[in-house]
Amino acid sequence: MQVVIAEDLALLRDGLTRLLRDNGFDVVAAVSDGDALIHAVSTEQPDIAIVDIRLPPSFRDEGVRAALELRRRSPNTAILVVSQYVELTYATELLSDGQGGVGYLLKDRIMDVADFIDAVRRVAGGGTALDPEVVAQLFSGQKEGPLEELTPRELEVLGLMAEGRSNAAIAEQLVLTVGAVEKHIANILMKLRLPPSDTDHRRVLAVLAYLQGREDD
Amino acid sequence: MGRLLRPLVSWDTYRAFAYYVATVVLGSVALAVLIAGWTITLVLAITPLVVPLLIGLRFGVGALAGAEGGLARGLLDVNVSPQMESPAAGFWARGFAVLKDPTFWRQQAHLLLGWLIAIVALAPFSLGIQALAIPLYYDSVGGVDFGWRTVDTRGEALALVPVGLALIVVGIYLLAAWRKLSRGLARSLLAGDGGRIVRSPEETSARRLRALTITSLISTAIVVALVVIWALTGQGYFWPIWPLLGLSLVVGIPGWVILVLERREISRFTLGSQALAIQIGVSAVIFGFLVAIWAITTRGYFWPIWPAFGLALLAVGHAAVVYGRRQHRIERLERSRAGAVDVQESELRRIERDLHDGAQARLVALGMSLGMAEQALDSDPEAVRALLAEARRGAGEALEELRDLARGIRPPILTDRGLEPALTALTARSPLPVTLSVDLAERPPAAVETAAYFTVAESLANVIKHGRATRVDIGIRSQNGTLVAEIVDDGAGGADPQGPGLMGLRQRAEALEGTLQVTSPDGGPTTVRAVLPCRS
Repeated sequence: MQVVIAEDLALLRDGLTRLLRDNGFDVVAAVSDGDALIHAVSTEQPDIAIVDIRLPPSFRDEGVRAALELRRRSPNTAILVVSQYVELTYATELLSDGQGGVGYLLKDRIMDVADFIDAVRRVAGGGTALDPEVVAQLFSGQKEGPLEELTPRELEVLGLMAEGRSNAAIAEQLVLTVGAVEKHIANILMKLRLPPSDTDHRRVLAVLAYLQGREDD
Repeated sequence: MGRLLRPLVSWDTYRAFAYYVATVVLGSVALAVLIAGWTITLVLAITPLVVPLLIGLRFGVGALAGAEGGLARGLLDVNVSPQMESPAAGFWARGFAVLKDPTFWRQQAHLLLGWLIAIVALAPFSLGIQALAIPLYYDSVGGVDFGWRTVDTRGEALALVPVGLALIVVGIYLLAAWRKLSRGLARSLLAGDGGRIVRSPEETSARRLRALTITSLISTAIVVALVVIWALTGQGYFWPIWPLLGLSLVVGIPGWVILVLERREISRFTLGSQALAIQIGVSAVIFGFLVAIWAITTRGYFWPIWPAFGLALLAVGHAAVVYGRRQHRIERLERSRAGAVDVQESELRRIERDLHDGAQARLVALGMSLGMAEQALDSDPEAVRALLAEARRGAGEALEELRDLARGIRPPILTDRGLEPALTALTARSPLPVTLSVDLAERPPAAVETAAYFTVAESLANVIKHGRATRVDIGIRSQNGTLVAEIVDDGAGGADPQGPGLMGLRQRAEALEGTLQVTSPDGGPTTVRAVLPCRS
């Protein structure tokens, strides 16, 4: 699997390159700013680009802008945005085109190597990886509503669904059987009046739309 | 042919004629008002009475300009609506505000220039009508004397009839040109501030210098011409001294004003006040003018001492006002700077302690875990696994603490995107329903953004903590070069403005020379209002 990395700090760029190579990825380019990223992606056509948010020259949200630009230009390249901080606003923007193959994670998550590699593969395969912190921001904005009807276990499952995890991954994380997870999910969708979705990514979008729709009330 | 005859049959011509007739009348009234008003005002300039007089004059000029605006709208088809500024607060400030109000001066200029143009535009008509009437009355007055000849026969009188008619026709054709001039004059002098052209400082300064140069050149030319005339006409008494003196005022006063405006360092000698520098300089010019008059006239009793005394008294009064204001400002700055230093000091202390007790301690523990793992590498692989997992957890916690710390200094999204997205993100996380309206003309300075953000964040946290509120309204807007942040909740009120949270916000605002107001009557609602200047 071919990867392009955009990260301005050499220490992290080299570390990430080594970590991905050790796990069998082919890092075809490692660049340090948004323009170089767009150039590298258009020449290499990798499966996924891993992009830091703060990049030169402005050190603001260059990475998000570059990622949105890449979504338009090279829809076949998945994008995983990593950052020292997460903002719901950026997550919403990254997911706004409704296509899969998008991730947004804190750099902290890289330390759990197995989980991080799983997220990279998931995103490259057209799925979604949203940081638990983003999901927590979504939940903290909730005013009263049908969410209160969910049991604590169902809330946990909803959170993992929003992160983009598959039923099997949710089952493993919560130490449940896949059957039990499916039952929980059916209950959640019924209580929130959401339609069942065919892919994990559609499911993420539905859950996010639901959670954000509530904000505007 | 049609084109040529159009001015004679055009309705606009006769409306313009009506406009000039009305303007001559109105302008004469205006002239009387201005002469009387300014004379009284100047005579009473050193008494407090000058303020009500100025305000009265302002209203008089405003009303007359309003009437001229109405005439111009109705008869010249120009869209102007003369306006008056709302008066400033404070007794003396109101008087100064009148003098500083550019529309006041532009309206007076229009009253005078409009009157002059009307007289010139109507002159051919009045001469023409006079010529037409001569055949009717030349006999009864025993001939009309034109200076170079006297009209006293029927033939001569009748010969004037075509002259009169020609004058009136010429007047009608000229009306179109006058009408154009008057429309431009009304548009540039009577339109409200909407018509004011915004110029860059460089352009303004170039225009000022150009105007001064032109004034000086014209004045010099006039003086030279007069001296030549004096020399050619038998010399004798050197009368050109009088126009010379007058023109020296015309050049000297604007020259000094422009010099003060262009060279800021001059006002360093006058407590930083350009107005005071201008006043002192203009007083000196006037004094010099009076001394010159004294010197070339009687030379007896030194009467200029009295106006000099009055001018000096005015300057001293003005200086006292400037000094008082400056002291007040210095005191306020010192107070707020001390507050800002306090805020910064306690913030730095908090950050240092957070780093020391949090991230640093965690990194030490992480290093210890890694060291122990290294030791156990050969003997106990199971223990190594546990130690490494612990190390990773520690690193994760250190990161989290550092992130919270960074967010408390300045939230990343505020840096990335600015105030509105940052506040949208903040309010989206609030458990209470919040309405947010942001209306900013341009992005404020970073320090103002940060202060506004934390004012909203802290107030919102307060509301959630004990407001017993069901909703919060947040408004951010630009107003006269300041940013106004207002947070209103429908809670029970009774917030303590002296509490540490609000005190911190007040110091934050004062450090930027802004203010923070809290109104929180028992029973609510509570309003927190921060006004933060955006100019650097």
